Amino acid sequence: MEAAVKTNTLKDRLYSEFETVKNSLLGSLQIREQAMESFLKQGIPNRKSEEYKYVNIDLVLKGEFAFSTDKTTTCEQIKHTKFLKDAIDIVIENGVFIEDLSNIKSLPKGLQVINITDASSNETFSKQYSKYADVNADTFIALNTALAKGGVFIHVAKGTVIETPIHIINISSTKENLIINSRNLIVVEPNAQVKFIESFETVDSSAKTFNNSMTEIVIDENAIVDYYKIQDENENGYLINTTQVYQKKQSVFSTNTITLSGSLVRNNLNIVLDDEHIETHLNGLYLTSGNQVVDNHTLVDHRKPNCNSNELYKGIIEDKSSATFNGKIYVRKDAQKTNAFQSNKNILLSDEGTINTKPQLEIYADDVKCSHGTSTGKLDADKIFYLRARGLSETSAKKLLMHAFASEVVDTLKIEALREYVEEKIAKRFE
Amino acid sequence: MANEILSEQINKDYEYGFVTDIEAENAPKGLSEDIIRFISTKKNEPEWMLDYRLKAYRYWLTLEEPHWAHVSYPKPDFQNIIYYSVPKPKKQLGSLDEVDPELLKTFEKLGISIEEQKRLSGVESRIAVDFVMDSVSVKTTFKETLAEKGIIFCSFGEAVQEHPDLVKKYMSSVVPYTDNFYAALNSAVFTDGSFCYIPKGVRCPMELSTYFRINSAGTGQFERTLIIADEDAYVSYLEGCTAPMRDENQLHAAVVEIVAHKNAEVKYSTVQNWYPGDKEGKGGIFNFVTKRGVCLEDNSKISWTQVETGSAVTWKYPSVILKGDNSVGEFYSVAVTNNYQQADTGTKMFHLGKNTRSTIISKGISAGFSNNSYRGLVRIAKGATNARNFSQCDSLLMGDKCGAHTFPYIEIKDKSGIVEHEATTSKIGEDQLFYCKQRGIDNEKAIGLIVNGYCKEVLNKLPMEFAVEAQKLLAVSLEGSVG
Repeated sequence: MEAAVKTNTLKDRLYSEFETVKNSLLGSLQIREQAMESFLKQGIPNRKSEEYKYVNIDLVLKGEFAFSTDKTTTCEQIKHTKFLKDAIDIVIENGVFIEDLSNIKSLPKGLQVINITDASSNETFSKQYSKYADVNADTFIALNTALAKGGVFIHVAKGTVIETPIHIINISSTKENLIINSRNLIVVEPNAQVKFIESFETVDSSAKTFNNSMTEIVIDENAIVDYYKIQDENENGYLINTTQVYQKKQSVFSTNTITLSGSLVRNNLNIVLDDEHIETHLNGLYLTSGNQVVDNHTLVDHRKPNCNSNELYKGIIEDKSSATFNGKIYVRKDAQKTNAFQSNKNILLSDEGTINTKPQLEIYADDVKCSHGTSTGKLDADKIFYLRARGLSETSAKKLLMHAFASEVVDTLKIEALREYVEEKIAKRFE
Repeated sequence: MANEILSEQINKDYEYGFVTDIEAENAPKGLSEDIIRFISTKKNEPEWMLDYRLKAYRYWLTLEEPHWAHVSYPKPDFQNIIYYSVPKPKKQLGSLDEVDPELLKTFEKLGISIEEQKRLSGVESRIAVDFVMDSVSVKTTFKETLAEKGIIFCSFGEAVQEHPDLVKKYMSSVVPYTDNFYAALNSAVFTDGSFCYIPKGVRCPMELSTYFRINSAGTGQFERTLIIADEDAYVSYLEGCTAPMRDENQLHAAVVEIVAHKNAEVKYSTVQNWYPGDKEGKGGIFNFVTKRGVCLEDNSKISWTQVETGSAVTWKYPSVILKGDNSVGEFYSVAVTNNYQQADTGTKMFHLGKNTRSTIISKGISAGFSNNSYRGLVRIAKGATNARNFSQCDSLLMGDKCGAHTFPYIEIKDKSGIVEHEATTSKIGEDQLFYCKQRGIDNEKAIGLIVNGYCKEVLNKLPMEFAVEAQKLLAVSLEGSVG
């Protein structure tokens, strides 16, 4: 009962925060009020909520939280987070876009990066903002839509091909517990091609951050978009990361979610394939340890015929950590000739660890090829023996096998510098 | 073989939809403590049984109907159901001659003649049957033959009277009344069912079978089955069910409990063919069943095989708790839905003991406007070392207005566990159909052939008599669904 009272007070505090700042937030007042109403109705999930049953979010949110903080980090402090030599860096600190730390002075032609709080005059922005993520589908979408006050709007004009990757760097740095609601909107117009990397890091932080970060991506006809995520916050980081993707005709979207650390990481990746001949690739890798909780939820919504989707998520679970994979392929009545595949593979290395997996198929069309598979096990003793017979020590044999297991996902990263960075991180991890 | 059966059956509708004109004694409609006392008094039950019922009822009152399954249906009005209906004032049946001839006719129509059973008694493949009509068991055959081996096979009511110790010890030990909404309801109002006890070291010489039949209008059927296999025992148990065609929805909420002791093996097969409703989705049975077995001690084995073709709404998850070391759980299922039928079915495997193994093979077929879901749980608890599970869930879609869904839950807390799950969804291949048609097999027969092939892995697990019936049923259920 005590917990319930506390949850209520948090809900109340979120509501009073909304009431005080509602005129300074972004998006139209009507959208936000609807979102807040929906959030109050859905509430903060607990273990009994089917969609959040493997994460204790209500426990994370116990205690005092602020909604903004003044402190800003220096360029020097965040240098290491800009790990790509050649990239367009966009820095979002504690949910607010910091132009000084970013390098967007000379952007390629056709690319626009605007602080989301200044974007309301932009026609495309007002047309597309909050149009794709349904506030009634998830309580954190509702909360973000109601309380978002920072982030970026990225616009890639028709036919623009951008070679340099765009790196969105999310930094948590705070001395007091903080709830962040950051929000990005990315609109990629027809025939454009662009690559994104979004990373989550903690810099000089001594308190909890609860980051409810959300990105909407609209991909127009024939556009090709890559979107890679590296989640590497420290044990103070609690991250709810929602990505809502809307794809149009013949577009190609590839995403890769790599979770290395952070106390709690919950990814909600929703992709809507709303026209024909669309291609979607979803990959994910999670290496969990300590008391970490990682929960990957994906939804691939096939609405129209002749589309392909392919999903591969892999995980290595150590210590007392817990990993969840919940993937759903939804094939609507009209989506004939759909090919949809889903695979989830896990290695459990400890007796205290937990793996929960729930690959789901919900299919209403008959002329489709859909399948899913999942397997969980330990490192294969035969393989270890094979390597040991060739002179490798047991530890190095295990390391090699884990590396090979992870590389199936890492190899799908198309940016070489990023792939090297991730491989280095993984190698360090297996030390 | 399959073809003959198919051609013979292809144009049939639901053939068990008749009503037997038989005198019935009904309790008044509705549910209250008085009704429960009435049932208990009618059945001449001891005090502890009534207490149990009332406890379950009071708990049930605190519960809300669950809604998480992928089905939708009008909420049953629990006050508009007759909870007790007896085919006639029951007296102890000594011989077959005393059975109401109307009743015998009913079972003959169902294709399970009691007479025939008697005649076959010299033959090896015989089956002992317990017939349950509406609320109570009407006749159990072969009781004496079984008694010679020490096997107890009787109606649940009789077991309460004659073997109270066994009932007291095992009832509710696998499915407590607190388990879920419908288990609580069943525990409060169950009227009869089957009871079976196989003593130490006995291999049951024949198939045991219960035949369930809903007959009276406005009634709900709430039966309970309890099967206990003592050390080194073996039993194969069959269950079949039918109901008349009616426009109203009738509720069937059963509980089945299985206990397997050391080295024991229980094989439980179901052919579920409750009335599925008409082509517009009107009427039909709501089948909300709780089935669970526990492999209590080492080296025991429980195997569920089910062919689900009937019911308007099915909601059942035969489960196995693998408690003993080296115990084995199996689940083989074929679920067919047509017209407006909805099925949400699957299994749960709880691995608690060491070296436990489980296999899940589920084949779903949806046609018409139906929805067919597999929902299953595989849980490997901490300390359940070297547990192994393999699951395969295939769905076949016939037509573009139906749905096929897979919702597996896998929870692993032990590093030595190995779990594999595979699922596919597809339709019958054009090339397969073409191949058959080219050889002179018409469309409908070809589909029957392909479907039977698709389900073979499961059908092979059924006892022979049931396999034939199941194949027929598959053909009838899918009749007219393609073209």
